[in-house]
Amino acid sequence: MKKQENLFYEFLKGLWEINPTFKQILGMCPTLAVTVSAINGLAMGLATTFVLIFSSVIISSIRKIVPNQVRIATYILIISTFVTIVDLVMKAKFPELSKALGPFIPLIVVNCIILGRAEAFASKNNVVRSFLDALGNGTGFLLALLALGSIRELLGTRSIFGFQILLDGFSTWMVMILPAGGFLTLGLLLGSANAYTNWKKRKSKKEILITNSILR
Amino acid sequence: MELIIIFISAALINNFVLSYFLGICPFIGVSSKISSAVSMGLAVIFVMTITAIVSWLINNLILIPYHLEFLTIPSFILVIASLVQFVEMVIKKVSSAIYRALGIFLPLITTNCAILGLALFAQMREYTLIESVIFALGAGSGFTLALVIMAGIREELELANVPEPFQGAPITLIVAGLLALTFMGFAGII
Amino acid sequence: MKKVLQIILVLTFTAAISGFVLSSVNNWAKPLIEENRIKAISQAIFLVQSEGKRYEKLNFNEMDVFEVFDENDQSIGYAVVHQGNGFQGTIKLIFGINKDLNKITAIEILEQVETPGLGSLITEDNFKNRFKNLNTQPLIQVVKGKKPSHDNEVQAITGATISSKAVVRIVNEAAEKLKKLNGIKK
Repeated sequence: MKKQENLFYEFLKGLWEINPTFKQILGMCPTLAVTVSAINGLAMGLATTFVLIFSSVIISSIRKIVPNQVRIATYILIISTFVTIVDLVMKAKFPELSKALGPFIPLIVVNCIILGRAEAFASKNNVVRSFLDALGNGTGFLLALLALGSIRELLGTRSIFGFQILLDGFSTWMVMILPAGGFLTLGLLLGSANAYTNWKKRKSKKEILITNSILR
Repeated sequence: MELIIIFISAALINNFVLSYFLGICPFIGVSSKISSAVSMGLAVIFVMTITAIVSWLINNLILIPYHLEFLTIPSFILVIASLVQFVEMVIKKVSSAIYRALGIFLPLITTNCAILGLALFAQMREYTLIESVIFALGAGSGFTLALVIMAGIREELELANVPEPFQGAPITLIVAGLLALTFMGFAGII
Repeated sequence: MKKVLQIILVLTFTAAISGFVLSSVNNWAKPLIEENRIKAISQAIFLVQSEGKRYEKLNFNEMDVFEVFDENDQSIGYAVVHQGNGFQGTIKLIFGINKDLNKITAIEILEQVETPGLGSLITEDNFKNRFKNLNTQPLIQVVKGKKPSHDNEVQAITGATISSKAVVRIVNEAAEKLKKLNGIKK
């Protein structure tokens, strides 16, 4: 009998426990490519979350009538429809952002996060849970993009969101704006995230051991 | 001459993985052994080339003449998904050894941003059919090159003392960053 | 049999709804996207031809050329869009040229992926201003490390010679092409 998690958990888990970027290691391509600035990261995160939520909700609502053999094809059709909508709306209303994010908006359709959540969750859970799961994962992804984008922008141009933070005396780390900087920053962030997780695990293991020895 | 520029540009100067960040998932996932890297690379070159041809046909025979450009994303991705399914069937029949080596990565080529990215770039730059094919060959070769170099480095890394939090994806990314830096040296050779 | 029917129905239904939704969104978006495109081009044209009030696209297939008219509707020259290989990718630029096709009014870089901090400085006013009132006859030349001594010389950006040379090459190429095309037009 599968344990039914409470609804809030479905949302919360996406933020850290199964954070798409730091834990599931999905959606790497856009993560590296668009995080040259905080605002690009934010825009990409919002676009992806939009597609994720709508796709998950629709897929969840039709999950019982989609035959197994065509489920991937159907999911892809649905996801690509929403991605196209986002692409068209951005081109019409936010042309500069659209140009900055380039081909990565259409590439949301192959962002493993979306198909991954559809397969792993939306196809097996009801609409409300799927919505929360999508919202959580999307937000987790957005936060990761924001973090990465802010770091690279700050070290590469002394500003975040265009507002200068570091003093002019700080020599900018050009490498941060280059692809190499993206790889390095993400690698370091991932390593740190792992280190933190391991540290927490060891701490709680220690606490259990101590508690056990006290109880004895 | 133009074609050579397209090839070299896609393979080295604007390497799909190290400059455009396309194809990262398989890059991290398959690059731990040289043999699987080579197999994955070849599969990608093959799928890319056929995708380039088919997407060019769709774009120029259907999408543009009938003003259906907004159907680009769904049509391209459906073509890629079917192609990959087809390649998977063929490989299964031809060599079960390769099939076992590539395992779950074959269907992953579908969500490989590099393939869709290639189709979208070729469409954006309005390449002719020949130019698209050369572009695909260049991009696929560059991808394979990056993948194989990565695998070579990782095989050595297996013997190194990597701190536990950094094992796996993190150290791969850092190495990729250093690789990206070196590939920047190719800029300006054309 | 029922399974096959279900498969066909689900796929067709999904595709149909998807197609319908997309074409509706597209119909809404298309005029807006076109508007944005025109706005961007106008902005660029009037940036390089500051006296311009109106422009007309000329009918050349090989290159985007616009004839620009001032407030009295007199032709004051042209704005030309051209691109070429830079150091790290394609550079796309627009420049204004006078009616006699021998003086550049100004240039604007539209697209570039040059090295940040070095080649990318071609988008700075410092570099672009060197093209103001530049003679195109004889062809524009690049000088390094010293100030230009002739009216057709441009000083390259220190550390970004190739990007600077690329910009000059693109402008020269386009100016020559325009002279040829204009000859045919007349």
